[in-house]
Amino acid sequence: MTETLGTLQMLVIIAAVALATFATRALPFICFSCRAPPKSLSMIEKNLPPMILLLLVIYCLKDVQWFSAPYGLPELFTIGIVAGLHLWKRNAMLSIFAGTGLYMVLVQLNLFSFLC
Amino acid sequence: MKENEAAWPDMSKHRKEPQSKELFMSALKTTVPVFLGYIPLGMAFGFLLDGAGYHWGYAFLMSLFIYAGSGQFLAVALLAAGAGLTEFVIATLLLNLRHSFYGLSLLDRFSDVGKVKPYLIFALTDETYALLTTTEVPAGGSKARFYFYITALDHLYWIMGCVLGAVLGSILNLNLEGMAFVLTALFVVLTIEQYFHSTSRFPFTAALGAGVVSLVLFSPENMLLLSIIFGTVILIAHEKFLGEKTALEAYTAEGRVKEEN
Repeated sequence: MTETLGTLQMLVIIAAVALATFATRALPFICFSCRAPPKSLSMIEKNLPPMILLLLVIYCLKDVQWFSAPYGLPELFTIGIVAGLHLWKRNAMLSIFAGTGLYMVLVQLNLFSFLC
Repeated sequence: MKENEAAWPDMSKHRKEPQSKELFMSALKTTVPVFLGYIPLGMAFGFLLDGAGYHWGYAFLMSLFIYAGSGQFLAVALLAAGAGLTEFVIATLLLNLRHSFYGLSLLDRFSDVGKVKPYLIFALTDETYALLTTTEVPAGGSKARFYFYITALDHLYWIMGCVLGAVLGSILNLNLEGMAFVLTALFVVLTIEQYFHSTSRFPFTAALGAGVVSLVLFSPENMLLLSIIFGTVILIAHEKFLGEKTALEAYTAEGRVKEEN
């Protein structure tokens, strides 16, 4: 194990990382605090959330190993079930918890091991 | 955690109003998936920090003041690597730059939330952004308060997870494998909700294109920011193209009118 840092060093690092994180979140609000945002931004405001949400779904698959068993099947299968269930019943809690439970069973019992 | 709740003034201040409790319950229900996702994720972070030899107090401070999932994981990695302060700052800025895009699409939504605005901005994580942009404020309820409840509850869950993980360390060997998938499921459900509410299908096409390409081309750490930039460029290009097309259509329509005359 590498040596741990002292209290002061840790506090300085935490403060710096906290400020850097806050800066990224506050940047657009600071930019447009005294001048009106350009008109073209309304398109961004409307279209960015749906785009980012789908990108977050795709981002959740970033660590999947597509070229070795189980080839991302537990993830894709469960996402399919969640989406199907939600399109059918449109009950967010049901879709989310049924999907998560299913996924936990799939990976903990390694039910896709027959693919190896 | 109790003292912490008391430290957030808005939580108890407006108890008189009848809607306040209902609004809180509604926010509580909305954030249940985030609770189930943040506990195992936060615990994973706590385990890591504890494993690196740090007191759980640091897990508390980091989850309270930094409050960024991937950002904190990165910080632990940098701590282990013995990185310098500049590296911490630059790596954090790059990793969290995606949050600037979140704010960009919340300028209008946050313009009338009053004094909770700085806190809402401070605590804008991926999951909170997803909830705030998709969930409707219950009829008659105050938007500012509803947003504050959702944001503060998510924050609280994250702090609980991080501290729990760091305190328990390796004592406990819970099999939480796969539980963090709850956040993936949450994003899937919210994407479908966005699909129902959205008039344009193009953002989804743009996301699919940008996301899959980024998944293939970029490393896991960089892909989210790069895919958001890529997708935004596609959106803007599409808008420009559409704008020119409608202008052209208007022009030809005008021509037709002239010809008819």
